[in-house]
Amino acid sequence: MSLLKIIEIFRTKIMKRISYAALILIILIDFFIPRHEIHFFGDGIPGFWSLFGFVACILIILISKWIGYLGIMQDEKYYNE
Amino acid sequence: MKNITMSEMFIHPSVFFILGGLIIPFLRGRAKQSYMLVVALLAFLAVLIMPHGTYGVYEFLEWQLTFGNVDKLSKAFAYIFSIMGVIGIIYSIHVDNDGEILAAFYYVGGALGVTLAGDFLTLFLFWEIMAFSSVFLIWYRKSEFSVEVGFRYLLWHVTGGLILLAGIIIKYNLSGDLTINHFPFHGWWPADLQSLASFLIIIGFIINAAVPPFGAWLPDAYPAATVTGAVFMSAFTTKTAVYALIRVCAGSEILIILGVVMAIYGVVYAVLENDARRLLAYHIISQVGYMVAGVGLGTQMAINGVVAHAFCHILYKSLLFMGTGSVLYMVGTTKLTELGGLYKTMPRTMIYTIIGGLSISAFPLFSGFVSKSMTVAAFGEEHLTWAFLLLMLASAGTFLHTGLKIPYFIWFGKDRGIKGKEPPWNMELAMIIGSLFCIGLGVFYQPLYLLLPYATNFKPYTLYHISETLQLLLFTQLGFFFLIKKLWCENSISLDTDWLPRKCAKVLMWFTNKPLSKLEYNYIGELYEFIIQKPIMRVAYYFMKIDTVVVDGTINGLGKLAMTCSQKIQNVQSGKIQHYAMIMLAGVIVLIIIGVVLP
Repeated sequence: MSLLKIIEIFRTKIMKRISYAALILIILIDFFIPRHEIHFFGDGIPGFWSLFGFVACILIILISKWIGYLGIMQDEKYYNE
Repeated sequence: MKNITMSEMFIHPSVFFILGGLIIPFLRGRAKQSYMLVVALLAFLAVLIMPHGTYGVYEFLEWQLTFGNVDKLSKAFAYIFSIMGVIGIIYSIHVDNDGEILAAFYYVGGALGVTLAGDFLTLFLFWEIMAFSSVFLIWYRKSEFSVEVGFRYLLWHVTGGLILLAGIIIKYNLSGDLTINHFPFHGWWPADLQSLASFLIIIGFIINAAVPPFGAWLPDAYPAATVTGAVFMSAFTTKTAVYALIRVCAGSEILIILGVVMAIYGVVYAVLENDARRLLAYHIISQVGYMVAGVGLGTQMAINGVVAHAFCHILYKSLLFMGTGSVLYMVGTTKLTELGGLYKTMPRTMIYTIIGGLSISAFPLFSGFVSKSMTVAAFGEEHLTWAFLLLMLASAGTFLHTGLKIPYFIWFGKDRGIKGKEPPWNMELAMIIGSLFCIGLGVFYQPLYLLLPYATNFKPYTLYHISETLQLLLFTQLGFFFLIKKLWCENSISLDTDWLPRKCAKVLMWFTNKPLSKLEYNYIGELYEFIIQKPIMRVAYYFMKIDTVVVDGTINGLGKLAMTCSQKIQNVQSGKIQHYAMIMLAGVIVLIIIGVVLP
């Protein structure tokens, strides 16, 4: 099977569903994982890092875009004018 | 002074690059290519057999220069620099421009020289060799913008170098000693001369480490460099600065805050960025932020983490620059707004780039996982929760951009019908080697841990740690697809902290061109003519009379000689400052060789 075909498989609907199932699965597994050292409160909550990852991603995109539109983003010719 | 032992095993690896490089212009074709590879491999071999100790000590005027200070820390960095030398040379073996190859050789040689330097003067010397050689990797792009960018790059590094030199001079005046030793800066502002010296040294270092607000040169310069030049640049300048910071400034608290700010700052700018290579440049800033913060923390675990992370970072970041460089080389652009759908024609390049992306994102089984986790865990151990959480946030951002945004918008996204092709064999080979290192270090991390300066029994693969990382990264991916519409790029640039100097320069140019030159021409010029020029002309008239009769005879002979000489020298005076810089650099190196080796 060619490399291209393997890549195409990852672009199918079934793969999308498998990915969603995997997301749920890793939260469920987290309930059973032993915690040896708890450095702060979040380490004790099952699924904490899932929420953290999702919220972090959303915040990074929205806040950065907001900062960008405050005047950081300029036309490519900005310095040449 | 340290023990001075001599051993035949110690050959300074920079010698291969700096002296060996000089032969390149005389070779052609396959012979040249093999020679380049052999030189890089010999330098690696020299590092491999290098025993711990102090070597290459020379008296120079009233100072003692130490060229070879080998311990676990310098050896770890020398390893990765020389490995990167080999990979970089393989990637650029097809390059037909001797000057570009030579610049890369001197650059790598400079980095190895800084790493092994035992005193500040030697460190400074190689520090400057790095700046003046790497700028050619930008200039050889040979476009109008790369000339401008190169000058800006040089200005930043010359300024940084002078600040560093000022710190070194103050330190030398206070202690009479040039040996590189632990000399941290505490507090926020220098209180006395001693802390002023360490303050200036730390500023000199963090300019090269691209710490904001002094980091704007990096995303300005790296995307403007040549395809192969950017691969070298991504590896050496910031990481030699990290090495110098570990050596001299470990435990300087200010670095914790600067490092965490850096890690986030790079992520924010990466959201806005449209050029894939500039996006990667911002992620160098972000990743070096972890290292700078770790150096600031300064515990044994943190320093181990920083060294491991620098080691892995060089490999995955160069791999990412090789992947995007291949796209630039084959397609001609790295702008995400002009790319898309390349997976059909460049699938293998995509896989190498994704391996780099997974490594920088610290995915389990990839190199970043075993190094970043150690650095971040050091913050957890010290219960610096705010720093720990912000670094985790930056990790999510790293995956968002390098693991998702770059591959998605170059290889998938909107198919723009661009016809790509896999790059030449040597570029692909270098990417395969880089990929193998990234996976190899992620799976077999023990050899890397053995190289670290302190003994460690850190175990990256605990169940909780794997679960923590997978959750963080996979849910970042969910967020990415959730907000993907927001991430489509725009044709824009982002203003950085270099806005101020660049605008100030514009204002300064306007001021000199308009009001200042008018004032000079209309008023000062007139005044000058009346008060000085006219009386002098009269006096000169009498002198001339004496001159034509008495002196001319003698002078004419000398004049002819001068004419002949200047006609010869004229060829060297090209009027291009790049050429002057190269000649000066060559002159300095010749002087050093004469000064150090001959007596």
